[in-house]
Amino acid sequence: MSAPLSLFDRVWARHVIVPNPGGEELLFVDRNLVHDGSTFLAFDQMRSEGRTVRKPKQTLAVTDHYVPSAQRATAPASIANAEIRRVVELLDINAREFGIEHYGVHDARQGIIHVIGPELGWTQPGLLIACCDSHTATHGALGALPIPIGQSNQLRHVLATQTVWQKKPKTLRITIDGVLPAHVSAKDVILAIIARIGIGGAVGHAVEYAGSTIRAMSIEGRMTICNMSIEAGARIGMIAPDDTTYTYLHGRPFAPNGNNGADWDRALAYWRTLPSDADARFDRELSLNASELAPMVSWGTSPEDSSPISDSVPEPASVTDAEKRGRVQRALDYMKLAPGTPLASIKIDRVFIGSCTNARIEDLRAAAAVIQGRRATIPAMVVPGSTAVKRQAEAEGLDQVFLAAGFEWRDASCSMCGGSNGDLVAAGQRCASTTNRNFEGRQGPGALTHIMSPAMAAAAAVTGHLTDVRTL
Amino acid sequence: MTPFTTLTAVAAPLDIAKIDTGMIVPGRFQRLPRRAGHADYARVFLHDLRFDAQEQPRADFILNQPVYQQAGILVTGPDFGCGSSRESAAYATLDFGVRALIGASFGDVYRGNCMQNGVLTIVLPQPVVAGLMAQLQAAPGARMTVDLPQQIVTAPDGATHAFDIDATRKERLLEGLDDVGVTLQHLAQIEAFEKQYRADMPWLAPIL
Ligand code: SF4
Repeated sequence: MSAPLSLFDRVWARHVIVPNPGGEELLFVDRNLVHDGSTFLAFDQMRSEGRTVRKPKQTLAVTDHYVPSAQRATAPASIANAEIRRVVELLDINAREFGIEHYGVHDARQGIIHVIGPELGWTQPGLLIACCDSHTATHGALGALPIPIGQSNQLRHVLATQTVWQKKPKTLRITIDGVLPAHVSAKDVILAIIARIGIGGAVGHAVEYAGSTIRAMSIEGRMTICNMSIEAGARIGMIAPDDTTYTYLHGRPFAPNGNNGADWDRALAYWRTLPSDADARFDRELSLNASELAPMVSWGTSPEDSSPISDSVPEPASVTDAEKRGRVQRALDYMKLAPGTPLASIKIDRVFIGSCTNARIEDLRAAAAVIQGRRATIPAMVVPGSTAVKRQAEAEGLDQVFLAAGFEWRDASCSMCGGSNGDLVAAGQRCASTTNRNFEGRQGPGALTHIMSPAMAAAAAVTGHLTDVRTL
Repeated sequence: MTPFTTLTAVAAPLDIAKIDTGMIVPGRFQRLPRRAGHADYARVFLHDLRFDAQEQPRADFILNQPVYQQAGILVTGPDFGCGSSRESAAYATLDFGVRALIGASFGDVYRGNCMQNGVLTIVLPQPVVAGLMAQLQAAPGARMTVDLPQQIVTAPDGATHAFDIDATRKERLLEGLDDVGVTLQHLAQIEAFEKQYRADMPWLAPIL
């Protein structure tokens, strides 16, 4: 009998080409994803060195960070900011020059990189997916091994060699059991985890999310959980594939379908061998009871600064750790919040529903269910995670629900998540956002971000303040 | 990459508990080309801490003090470089003229990016870092030495502190080795791996 293995251990081992004396291993990259961020730096360097992409078929490029969320028909030519326009154009130029498939501004397959990978079946169980982005762990929701890489040197390395050097992290299993209460979503689960273990709580670990709550969750929900692994400090987050995964993948464009279905069957047989053995060992374990969770909102400038909506802004004075106390005080100063303020009384200036965390079809359905028959009292916008999600939502009539409620209905992009394309929250404005980061200035200089689930963001749009969606 | 051996330079105490990569390079500079000379990236390093909304240097920010214009080493707070994986954060650090960072902990991705770009990040226990910080604050403009071959940091008061670094990173920094070149030395092994992988998983053929 071979030693019991975890999902992570097994997939990792399958990709090791050679170790080096420093304890790193050279891993084979099945598939690589490139976006329009600062990736031109990698191509610039490749060009200056006369290098080519070693396995161009194994890389896919898509424009997401810098594409406009409005007036798309005339983009990129109509992008007013010359620098932004240049970045969008550069990906197209670079992809062409280096022979990589690229989904540009007008492609029906375009969308946020972590949304389209799974959506197209590019992401599959057991594959090593490299992507030049912090939120690459999203792909782990399907049982792939996600490896986040840098946008220049490391991307250049993957492009030039189709491999990546990595030091094997430790493992942490987070088990969530039980049934989630009504209106408590995957976002609330991951925010509760981060609030508990802290933003550095999983540094150096590959996380596997397990338990009955995860098993009962859709792939969309699982992606929301894995997406924010990095906010807990982990670069890798994974969930064992199961029938939910296989059903999700079947028939997607890149899913195995050759040889009259024989390819699918062979792949499926392999995928079924991947989940962690019952007696697999993890370096750390943590467990959570789903039934105790509540809708969460962030109040500070780190995702760990999150609390159930029924709580109040914490008193820095009550934080015993001096260092943490200073950080909390600084966060509250930045957020312009007084200690003791009930979270549900905090007035909001605008709402953003979007990003790779929460802009898939299920997220839009959840938000639409809340605002159906109601109206937004503050500016609010929905930016679907992909063009396909947008089309799907329109087919279901969700766009009409949002428009009738006074929301803007935009085109797929990262948009106000990080503001790369110019969709910024104004200085001093407070935004209820379904994104993953509330760092200072994340949505624009001086922007005040509260992160939460789509349903909670929709509720805030209706009332104009942070609101417990359960009481709306 | 410029090789890193031994560095003696002015060390600046950057006594801020948490600096994430979005503070090292604010998101709006993500699309900045890194042109020859690298002045642009030097400018954006810790931009919003160093400059006010009118692009004027903030007089009260430590790195704006004349004595730190030539700082080559930063002693950092306990949480430096966490957050988004933007590699521009490492470029900016390097282009600003910093070749070594000394702190209690660094964001994983940022740390890796720094090493790839020839910036050495040194992790020392928090009390040691606090001691260095205090010495530097007491003697602005003091110099420190980082000796990579010996893996030793020499404080302004002459005390030495050993640090750990993994052997591969050390070798590459010492030789200024290009990472792609190192990997392609294994090309035969990579190709053999790929051949077997393809045979084992034929359904991947269309994209392999
Ligand atoms: S949506 Fe936000 S977190 Fe996701 S890839 Fe885009 S910018 Fe990054």
